[in-house]
Amino acid sequence: MLRDYFFYAAKNLLKRKLRTWLTMIGIFIGIAAVVSLISLGQGMRNAILGQFETLGTDKLTVEASGTGFGPPGSTVIKPLTLDDRDAIEQVPGVELVVNRMIRSVSFEYHDIRNFEGITNLPEEDKERALVLDVLNVKLAEGKMIDSSDQGKVVLGSGFSRDTRYGKAIHAGNKVLIGGAAFEVAGVLKRSGNPFFNDIILMNEARFREVLNIEEDVDLLVVQVKEGADVPQVQANIEKVMRRQRDVEKGKEDFTVQSPLQTLATLDTILTTVQTILVGIAAISLIVGGIGIMNTMYTSVLERTREIGIMKAIGAKNSDVLLIFLTESGLLGMAGGLVGIALGVGLAKLVEVAGAAALGEGVLVAQFSMMLIIGSLLFSFIVGTVSGIVPSYQASQLEPVDALRK
Amino acid sequence: MLTDYFRYGIQNLTKRKMRSWLTMLGIFIGIAAVVALVSLGQGLQKYINDEFEKMGRDMILIQPKGELGAPGTTTPVQLTKEDLDEVLKVKGIDRAAGVPVGTIEIEFNDVKRYAFALAMPVDDSKEYSVLELMFIQNYGIELGKEIEDGDARKANLGHYYLNRNLFEKNVQLGNKVTLNGEVFEVVGFYEVIGNPSDDQNIYITRDAYYELFPEKKDVYNIIYAKAALSEEPSQVADRIERVLRKSRNLEEGKEDFTIQTADSFLEAFNVILGVVQAVLIGIAAISLFVGAVGIMNTMYTAILERTKEIGVMKAIGARNNDILLLFLIESGILGFVGGGIGVLIGMGFAKLVEIIATLVLQTALLKAYFPWYLIIGALMFSFLVGAASGLLPAWQASQLKPVDALRYE
Repeated sequence: MLRDYFFYAAKNLLKRKLRTWLTMIGIFIGIAAVVSLISLGQGMRNAILGQFETLGTDKLTVEASGTGFGPPGSTVIKPLTLDDRDAIEQVPGVELVVNRMIRSVSFEYHDIRNFEGITNLPEEDKERALVLDVLNVKLAEGKMIDSSDQGKVVLGSGFSRDTRYGKAIHAGNKVLIGGAAFEVAGVLKRSGNPFFNDIILMNEARFREVLNIEEDVDLLVVQVKEGADVPQVQANIEKVMRRQRDVEKGKEDFTVQSPLQTLATLDTILTTVQTILVGIAAISLIVGGIGIMNTMYTSVLERTREIGIMKAIGAKNSDVLLIFLTESGLLGMAGGLVGIALGVGLAKLVEVAGAAALGEGVLVAQFSMMLIIGSLLFSFIVGTVSGIVPSYQASQLEPVDALRK
Repeated sequence: MLTDYFRYGIQNLTKRKMRSWLTMLGIFIGIAAVVALVSLGQGLQKYINDEFEKMGRDMILIQPKGELGAPGTTTPVQLTKEDLDEVLKVKGIDRAAGVPVGTIEIEFNDVKRYAFALAMPVDDSKEYSVLELMFIQNYGIELGKEIEDGDARKANLGHYYLNRNLFEKNVQLGNKVTLNGEVFEVVGFYEVIGNPSDDQNIYITRDAYYELFPEKKDVYNIIYAKAALSEEPSQVADRIERVLRKSRNLEEGKEDFTIQTADSFLEAFNVILGVVQAVLIGIAAISLFVGAVGIMNTMYTAILERTKEIGVMKAIGARNNDILLLFLIESGILGFVGGGIGVLIGMGFAKLVEIIATLVLQTALLKAYFPWYLIIGALMFSFLVGAASGLLPAWQASQLKPVDALRYE
C-alpha cells in the first residue's frame, strides 16, 4: 500500500521532469551549503581544539595574573619565579612541573634582522618529553635538538617556507638569535596553529642566557599524578602559592587553571561563528522549502480532476493527503541526497585548496554519520512540511467540485 | 504598448496569487539577507573609517618590533626620550608624543584586576598630550572631570569600570581604588571606546606614572607623531625611518621598530573586512540563487498553463519578440517586487541588529548604514535576477509553433 504511494509519487515527479529538477535544485543547493559548512567547521574546530587535547585533564596551568592582552606572563606585574616552581613541585599529587616561556627575540639571517617568537625546551628528559608532546612537534627536516645541543635551535615551518629573510632557512644554516650564533638543527612540519609556524625552539639554559632572564617563568604546566584528585591538587597548589607570594585568599595575583577551562571558552567562540555561518546558509534551505510548497500547490492544481476521480472511486481524505505528502517528502529527500553529495564534494574541494594555501591539517572536512543522516532526515522533513498545506487542501476537495474542474 | 505588457504581466501574477507570493517570498528572503549583511558591513567600515578620519589621516605610529600581544608586552626593544626628540626634529612633523604602556594592578572592593595604565603627559611645547592624540578628538570624559597636572593621586577610568561589575560591584565617582598599592581617587570616567582593552584603561598623571613605574621613565612603547598639514604622511614616515635608523645606528633591513601611517592601518583593515564581508554575503547570496531558480520554475509552469493562450496570441499576429518580452516582464516584476519587499525587510532587520548591539552589547561597531547605491543596486539586481531567471522559459515560449500550441491540452 505504502509502496503504491511511492510509485505514484515518483511517477508524477518524473512526468514533470523540468519542474521536479528545478524544485530539487533549491533543496540541494541549500543542503550542499549547510553540509559543506558544517563539515569544514567541524574539522576546523577539531583541528584547533586538538591543539589543546594533548594537554588532557590531568594537567593544570599556573599563571601570574595580568590583563590577558598578550601571551602568558607578558602583562603581569609580579611574575612567577623558579622558587614558585620548586614550591609547587613539593605539593602532594604533583608529578611534574614544567616551565614555559614565550618571548620575543631578534633574529638575523642573510643580513636581515627581525623579531620572532621563541620558546624554551627544558633540559630534563621527562619535562622535555612533556613539552614536545604538548606542542605536538613533528620535524620536516634535520633533527630535534637534545639537551646538550646548546648551540642549536629548531625553527617553525614558516622560516623554511617564506622568504622574509631574503631566502628560505634550512637545517644546517647559521643564524643570529639575540646577537648570538646558532646552527639550525631542524625545521618543523607545518602546524595548524599559525603561532607554531613562526616559533624558535631553544634549550632553556641558553634561552635564559640569550634573553637575560634569571628567575622569571611565564607559565607553569603541572602534570598531576595518576589517580590523584585534580581539584584537590589544584586547591593545594593555590594554598602553597598564596603562602609563597604572600597574598590573602580572594586576592590572588595568580590563577591555577585546568586547560579544559580555556578549551570551553574557545569552543564557545568557534561554535558561535559556525552557528552564524550555517544559519545564513540555512536561509537558502527555507527558500528551497518554499519552492517545494509552490511546486506542490501547482501540482495539486493540475491534478484537481484526478483527485476528484480518486475520491469518486473511494479514496479517503487521508489517502489523498498521504499521496501528496509522500510526493513532497520525496522531492525533499532526493534533493537532500544530491545536496549531500555536492556538499561533500565542495568541502573536499575547499580542503584541497586550503591545504595548498594554508598547509596540511588546517582545514579538514569531517563528515560524521550524524551529519549525513541528519541532513537527509532534515531535507525529508523540509519537503514534507512544505507539502503539508497544499496536501491538506487537496485532501479537503469536494469530489464533485474537483471533477467539475 | 509597453504598459500593456506590464498590465498583462501583473494581471497574470495576481490571477495566481498564492504562487506569485511564494515565488516572491524566495526572492525577498534572499534580498533581505544580503541587504542586512551589506548594510551592517558597510556601517562597520564607515565607523572605522570615520574614526580614523577623526583621529587624522596624518597620524603616524612608531612601535618597537617584537610585540606578540598588546603594546608593551613582549618586545625587548624600547623607544626612548632620545628617539622622541629625534622624531620631533624631523621635517614635516607637527607634533609627537611618547606613550608608555604598563600593566597595573587595580584593587577595589577586595578584588584585584589588571589593566593597562596610560600616562597623561604634561603640557610641554611640541609634545602632544596622549589623550589629545588618541582620544580627545574622539572620546571624552562621560562622567566627572579629566585629571590635570598635579593631580598626583587622582585617576580617570575606562567605561567598563562604571557598569561591568568588574569588582563584583561598580566603581563610582569619588571612590578610592588601589593602583599598584597606592590609593587613588576616581575623579572621572571615559565614554565607551568600543573594545575591551581600551575600555578598561586607567589614566593617571605622568608624575604619578613614573612614581608607580620608575623603570618607564623616558621610555615609550608607542610614539605617536602627527604630520604637518602640508606634508604627505607617508613621506614623513619615510623620513622618520631614516632618522631613527641613523640615530639608533641600524642598517637598512635590520630595523627594530616599525612605522605605520593611518592609511596603511586602514588599508590592512579594509582588506580583512572586505574578505569577511564577501564570505558572509556570498553565503547569503546562495538563497538568492535558490529564489531565482524558484522564479524560473514558476515561469515554466506559467508558460505550460498558458500554452494555448500563447498559440492564440501568435495566431492573431503576435511576434516571437512580443511573447518573449511578455514573459520576461512578468518574471522581472516577480523579481522586482520581491526585491522591493526584501530591501525593506533587510533594512528593518539591520536596524534591529543595530539596536540590539547598542543596548545589549554596548558596542558602537554595529551600525546599519544604507547608502543609496545599496538600495538602488538591490532593486536593480532583483529585477535582473527575475528577468534572467525568466529568460529561458520566455524564450521557449516565444519559439512555440502556433499550431502545436493551439492543439496543446
